[in-house]
Amino acid sequence: MSRMDEFIAKLLAAAEEAGIEPAEVCYAESESFSAQAMEGRIDRYEVSASRKLGLRGAVDGKMGYASTEAFDDSAIEMLVGAVRESAVLSEAEEQDEIFAGDASYPELTSPENDIDEVTAEEKLALILEMEKAAKAVDPRIDKSRGAYIATGRGREQIVNSRGLNLKRETPMGGMASAGIFLVGKDGDSTATGGKFKAGRKVRELDPRIIGEEAAEETVSRLGGSPVSSGVYRAVIRRDAMRPILGTFCGVFSAENAQQKLSLLAGREGEKIAADCVTLMDDPLLPDGFASTSFDAEGSASRTKKIIDGGVLTTLLHNRKTAKKQGVETTGNASRSGVGGPIQVSPTNFFFRPGEHDLDTLLSDMDDGLLITELGGLHAGANPVSGDFSLIAKGYLVVNGQRARPVEQITIAGNFYQMLKEIKAVGSDLEFLGGGIGSPSVDVGSLSVSGSGR
Amino acid sequence: MLDRNVAADVLARAIQTGGDFAEIFLEDRRGQGLTLRSGRMESVRTNRSHGAGIRVFDGTRAIYVYTNDTSPEGLMHCAAQAAAAILEGAGCKPVGFSHWSAARPQEIRLFPTDVKAARKAEKLRAADAAARAVSPEIVQVSCSYADSVQDVLICNTEGVFVTDTRVRSRLRVAAVASDGHENQTGSEGPGASMGFELFDGRVDPEACGRNAAEMARTMLHAENCPAGVYPVVIDGGFGGVIFHEACGHSLEATSVAYGLSEFTGKLGQQIAAPCVSAVDDGTIPNEWGSLHIDDEGMPTSRLVLIDKGILTNYMIDKLGGRRMNMAPTGSGRRESYEWAPTSRMRNTFICAGQDDENEMIATMGTGLYAKSMGGGSVNPATGEFNFAVSEGYWVEDGKIVRPVRGASLIGKGGEVLMRIDRVGRNMTMAQGMCGSASGSIPTNVGQPMIRVSSLTVGGK
Repeated sequence: MSRMDEFIAKLLAAAEEAGIEPAEVCYAESESFSAQAMEGRIDRYEVSASRKLGLRGAVDGKMGYASTEAFDDSAIEMLVGAVRESAVLSEAEEQDEIFAGDASYPELTSPENDIDEVTAEEKLALILEMEKAAKAVDPRIDKSRGAYIATGRGREQIVNSRGLNLKRETPMGGMASAGIFLVGKDGDSTATGGKFKAGRKVRELDPRIIGEEAAEETVSRLGGSPVSSGVYRAVIRRDAMRPILGTFCGVFSAENAQQKLSLLAGREGEKIAADCVTLMDDPLLPDGFASTSFDAEGSASRTKKIIDGGVLTTLLHNRKTAKKQGVETTGNASRSGVGGPIQVSPTNFFFRPGEHDLDTLLSDMDDGLLITELGGLHAGANPVSGDFSLIAKGYLVVNGQRARPVEQITIAGNFYQMLKEIKAVGSDLEFLGGGIGSPSVDVGSLSVSGSGR
Repeated sequence: MLDRNVAADVLARAIQTGGDFAEIFLEDRRGQGLTLRSGRMESVRTNRSHGAGIRVFDGTRAIYVYTNDTSPEGLMHCAAQAAAAILEGAGCKPVGFSHWSAARPQEIRLFPTDVKAARKAEKLRAADAAARAVSPEIVQVSCSYADSVQDVLICNTEGVFVTDTRVRSRLRVAAVASDGHENQTGSEGPGASMGFELFDGRVDPEACGRNAAEMARTMLHAENCPAGVYPVVIDGGFGGVIFHEACGHSLEATSVAYGLSEFTGKLGQQIAAPCVSAVDDGTIPNEWGSLHIDDEGMPTSRLVLIDKGILTNYMIDKLGGRRMNMAPTGSGRRESYEWAPTSRMRNTFICAGQDDENEMIATMGTGLYAKSMGGGSVNPATGEFNFAVSEGYWVEDGKIVRPVRGASLIGKGGEVLMRIDRVGRNMTMAQGMCGSASGSIPTNVGQPMIRVSSLTVGGK
């Protein structure tokens, strides 16, 4: 028995003795490495090891929560006392459940990685080479804003007094990512651009390709200016669409719907999006960064179509929201940290790719805007109303071709409305180190604020 | 928290391979958070964070290693890992510790750790009831409260050995108004470097609930904001986020030291209209962004950033100071031991001016009056910033004619600062969480009402 297993056993025993029944521990540990090169020198180097543990449990049927990063005897006393104090105050209509577990779980194969094989020296050489490759592309590349590499892996364990004891890797197979951000200058024009890639193997992150793509993107943005204000047809490129989907994924949460924070409450079976839209939540995706065989409550994972051909088939549920609505959990329970209440989150969450690549989407659009970068999503996009008004960059598209770079504009719309107006979903699905993925999407028309009134 | 002899040994180990500076940041934080939704206490969470970060410099290269294992062996292991990243450095000779305590302007009367969660819950109930009473259109109210007591110990090879306790408390209310087809939101989130005495006269939970609900209701009945380039009047308080984004971040060593800010090399030059003076002040007693010492163990300070339009100071941390060959300004901050510190803002505001608030709107012609702002962001290399208007009103011929929703404001920092043509007389501040290279930290933004002669308004 490891020291942490002993601590967990002692903690669960102390909880039981204090009348906390049932009780559950979530323990997470992780290690990470990251480094940054700036203008030919390694200027940042970070190593970490982290352990966090949360306790939740019921007193007279009401749930309390606490967490710690210290693992002495006083920690046990603190956790048990805090859970009791917290439970007494709880007035939640439905309480979180502590689950004994499912009969079986889907099997997933953890992808291979090389995180521990590759030395720190090799990782540092990679980012220096990435900078060099980027700067060699074009004399208008003025500066590197930093080339970085990061690797990380972690484990999570859920143990409860009802017999559940599950372990998983977070993320499954670990993660390695690398990227670079650049500043380009041409006369009075300054532009920034970047590129990053994520995978499991450091040696599959090609520094030359990443550096060159970042440089090409940066240079292509030089000389940008606004378009006149008005309504434009628009294609949103996959790397700009992904954060939109991430910002609004909460509208598909049954928890939000039940709390009146989503307008999709009770709309299962209704057409809420264009025919070409199928939205997936697939925890069993091979190689997915959010792939898992069970969720935060220990429910078995399964693949769902949230929107199927434009029709809302299900919201995402945990055990509590499912019980309230009289349905089965979808296996989307999540925790905020190790010590928070059970919530609902997507796993691998993405628009199912269509048939056409980005170039075809642009030629089908003919004239309009290609949006490649959005800013201020944490403030300018409201997941409750669906409204967004965001700073954007991209290109003016004329006759299906990129005509010139565009900057200093905003695009405004409403997510619920946008789902209905989508004209086409591209074939270029990309995830980039997280569970949220998107292909490029032809979103129909958007209001654009640029120059003039 | 940490024995001096152990600390000295750990620092010595960290510079063994030639590091020329080493620092230990040890933290123990206790926090409690309560959430009330749908009129019911949904959850109470108690958290304890605990860990240490060891930082070593090799010239302008920074190595950072952190862990939750703060035993002497755990710290020694971290020091060895940090040292291993340096092959051949200039080295340094550690200076003996001189313990000192910073002046303590942030007096705490009621430590949150001494207050029962049940008393905290009462404040949420009061805010919730007041918000719901505003209108039947208010369909949801989420109230949350969070406090934190953070004990830190910071020591380094330059002889610093200092401890501090930081206490913060904050209430947040978010209301949703709905007509069944559309949702709109309103929110308010006052906080301070205070304990539970926050509620003794400084923050009124009922007023906070009412304001959030009124905002949501107003926005439900608002039309979409027109898009285009217009004059914009921005109210005080959270309106100060425009300076935070348009200028503040670009004056941090984090971007200036690398030549990645549009304001690099502009000390002594005019970067704003003459009616604009701005300050970053960590010394105001009990303000949300105030400190005794920064996260590098240096006393905090009051910095005049812009004096009548002229750039006078940058915000500088230790590493940024090395790169810029300038003295640090007590601006080194971090979210927790999981982050290496860097230069950050504290309480940052445009100073009060002399213009009449009514005249400002009466003479603006057609444009936007932004009464309440959401957050924003900036790209310091280009100066491009954006932020969201959470409560706006359309102005025609100098008269406020209707509420408008869905507006955002964008621009380039340098250009917008020069276009400020009115600065009002009454400066107020508001609380926010600022996210950047060293994590999410509490900062105040502030300003009096100001006017920008033209700005791109995003709407539809």
